[in-house]
Amino acid sequence: MTIHDIPGLACEDLDRDGALREATDELERTSRAGFLGALAGGLAAAVALGRPTAAGAALAKSDVAILNYALTLEYLQDAFYTEAERKGALSGPAARLTRVVGAVERAHVKALRKVLGEKAVARPFFDFRGVTEDSPSFVRTAVAFEDLAVAAYKGQAHMIESPAVLAAAVGIHSVEARHAAWIRYIAGATPAAEPFDEGKTKAQTLALVRSTRFVVGRPRTSSTKSPRFTG
Amino acid sequence: MPDHVSVRVPETRMAVRAAATEDLTSSRERFLRRAIMAGGTLVVGGVVVAGLPRLAASAAQSAAQDAEIFNFALLLEYTQSAFYAEAVERAELTGELLEFATVVAEHERAHVEYLRDALGSEARDEPTTDFGEATADPDAFGAAAVTLEDVAVAAYNGQAGNLTKGALRAAATIISVDARHAAWIRSIVGETPAAQAVDEPLSAEQATARIDETGFLAER
Repeated sequence: MTIHDIPGLACEDLDRDGALREATDELERTSRAGFLGALAGGLAAAVALGRPTAAGAALAKSDVAILNYALTLEYLQDAFYTEAERKGALSGPAARLTRVVGAVERAHVKALRKVLGEKAVARPFFDFRGVTEDSPSFVRTAVAFEDLAVAAYKGQAHMIESPAVLAAAVGIHSVEARHAAWIRYIAGATPAAEPFDEGKTKAQTLALVRSTRFVVGRPRTSSTKSPRFTG
Repeated sequence: MPDHVSVRVPETRMAVRAAATEDLTSSRERFLRRAIMAGGTLVVGGVVVAGLPRLAASAAQSAAQDAEIFNFALLLEYTQSAFYAEAVERAELTGELLEFATVVAEHERAHVEYLRDALGSEARDEPTTDFGEATADPDAFGAAAVTLEDVAVAAYNGQAGNLTKGALRAAATIISVDARHAAWIRSIVGETPAAQAVDEPLSAEQATARIDETGFLAER
C-alpha cells in the first residue's frame, strides 16, 4: 500500500493550480449528464439482464459476489469523499477533486446497488478518525484508496462472466486509475509509477481495508462517560 | 501467411515484470523462458490478420482473436512510443511536461516490448508515423498526448470482452497505466482528469477512426 509513500504536504502546496480549478468547475457543470449517460450505457445494461425479474437475479453467483465486493469498496470511497466534502476542511485542488470524485463514487454505489437489487450488501459503518479533516492525511489516504481500487477491479476483471458487467467494470477500473493519477498529481507524487499496474486479490484488498480500521461495527456514538477535564 | 497463431499470455506477474524490465539482447531465450513460466502456450488454428481487427461485439474469444487484438494494441503502443520519443527530442518540453513525456515514453516502450513478446512471430511491424506539428511545441504536444492516451484507454476497454481471460488479465495491467497517463497529462494541461463515472469504450473501428483523424499513421 502506498499510504506512507508520499512525503508530508503543506496545505498551501495544494492550492497551486488555477487551471485545474477551472477544469473541475467545468466538470461540475457537465458531470451529471455525462456520467449518468455513461452509466446508462454500461451498468444499466447489466441491470437489463435481470429483467423482468428482480435485478441481480439473472447474474451468476460469482458475478454477484464480485459486484458486492466492488460495492463494498465503493461504499468506502463514497463515505470518505462525502464526509470530507461535508466537513469542509479541504481547499484548492483537493477540495475540487473531493467534490468531483465523491459524486462519481456515489454514482458507482448507486449503479452497483441497482444492478444487485435485493442482493446488494448493506452499507457498512465508517469512522475515518479525523482523516477527512486534515489535508495531508486526506491526500495520502485518497491516494491509497484509489490505487487500491484500481488493483481490486483489475484483480477481478478476468473472473467476471457477464459481458455487460465486465464492460462496466473495466470502464470503472480505468476511471479509478484516472482518479489515482489525479490525486497523486495533486499530492506531488508521480501519477504513473510503473509501466504495468499489478492487480490485487480480494483477500489482499480486504486485508488492507481492515488494516485501516476505517470500517467499524456500528456507528460511533458520544461517550457516556464523564469528560476527564471539565475546565 | 502462417495458418497458426500462437499467443503466449503470461499467467504470472513475474512474467509481466520480466517483460518490462529485461533487456532485449536475447529475446528468444527470454521468450522461451517466459513461455515456461506462463505454464504453456496457446496454439489454435486461425488466420493472421495483418491489419486491424474487425471484431463483432459477440465474437467468441480465442487465442487467434487475442492475437488480432494484441496486434491492434501494439499498433497503438507503437504510435504512442514513437510520439513520446520524438516529442522528447523535438517539442522543447520543460518542467512537468518533460517529466511526463520522459516517463511515459519509457512506459510505452515497455508496453510495445511486452506485446511483441506475447505475439512472437505474429507481431505486426512498426508502423510509419508522421506527427507533423504535434511534436513541434509544448501546447501541440499536450493536446495530442491527451488524445492518444484517451483513445488508447477507450480502445483497450472496448476489447476487454473479446479477449480470453488470460489475455484480459495481461491487458488490464496496461489499461490502467494508460488511464493514469491520460489523467496525468490532462492535469498538466488543465483538462479534467476524469470526466466520466465510467470510461466509455471505443470499438476497433471507432478507435481506428480516431487515430486516422490525427494523421499520425502515415502507413499502417
